Amino acid sequence: MPITFLLILHGIFSVFLLGAVTHQFLGVAWPRRPGQTDFVARARGVNPGGYVQAIIILYVIEFILGSLLYPTYRVLARPPLQDLQLTWVIGLFEVKENFAAIVLAMLPSYWYFWKRYPDYKTTRTAVTTILFIVVWYNMIAGHLVNNARGLF
Amino acid sequence: MDSKIASRALPAFAIGFALYYAPAYSFTGATSTFTWPLFTYFPEIDQWRWGLVAGSDTSGPPMWWYGWIAAAALVGLAFAIIALLLPERATAKLWSNAIWIVPIAAFAFLWNWERVWFGL
Repeated sequence: MPITFLLILHGIFSVFLLGAVTHQFLGVAWPRRPGQTDFVARARGVNPGGYVQAIIILYVIEFILGSLLYPTYRVLARPPLQDLQLTWVIGLFEVKENFAAIVLAMLPSYWYFWKRYPDYKTTRTAVTTILFIVVWYNMIAGHLVNNARGLF
Repeated sequence: MDSKIASRALPAFAIGFALYYAPAYSFTGATSTFTWPLFTYFPEIDQWRWGLVAGSDTSGPPMWWYGWIAAAALVGLAFAIIALLLPERATAKLWSNAIWIVPIAAFAFLWNWERVWFGL
């Protein structure tokens, strides 16, 4: 499968994941108050628990796509970045890969604390916040790394 | 999954994973004495080899990321099994806090090694 197609698919799914995780985070951290009907309030006025399964599925898809793309980055994209001494771009990717792996392992617990263990609100909020920060960081870092090297 | 099992096994898996992954990333090098990744992938020649293998002119750059994840998953499973031996009620609060504190600590630990990329 052409690597460019996979990269674009990775970008498209990241938008879906970003939307879902942002709605959920806003619903948890900044829920809509009664009477608020503006655009931002509607984005916050969701049932956060309804996003859990979609977020897990989208995250796993994103992780698989990223894993398939990684060897191409390692062979074709990273060496020129090293030659150009753009180490901060490589660093963005290093942080991204580490975030992605550790949060992947947190997903079963994330599901559990949302769906089976409602008593621990602090845990649910903390895990959701970590997921929100990691997904946003990985999306922005991925874009910057891609823009630094380009598609071809 | 039984709630009593999941309440310990799932957080313990993530905690064990993070506790292994962070030092694995930080301490892996071509001359490491401990084999942190379970295997090494060489994308240029499309070959997998067990354990920690350094790159060379013929094999190209090594990728240890997949090997770290596999090894960390095994450690996570071991943590999950050990967690099941602990009393459920007495440790519930511990798991519910550690599930987010340990990953944040792992990120902080990793940052200490990653900041070199940013000249910090």
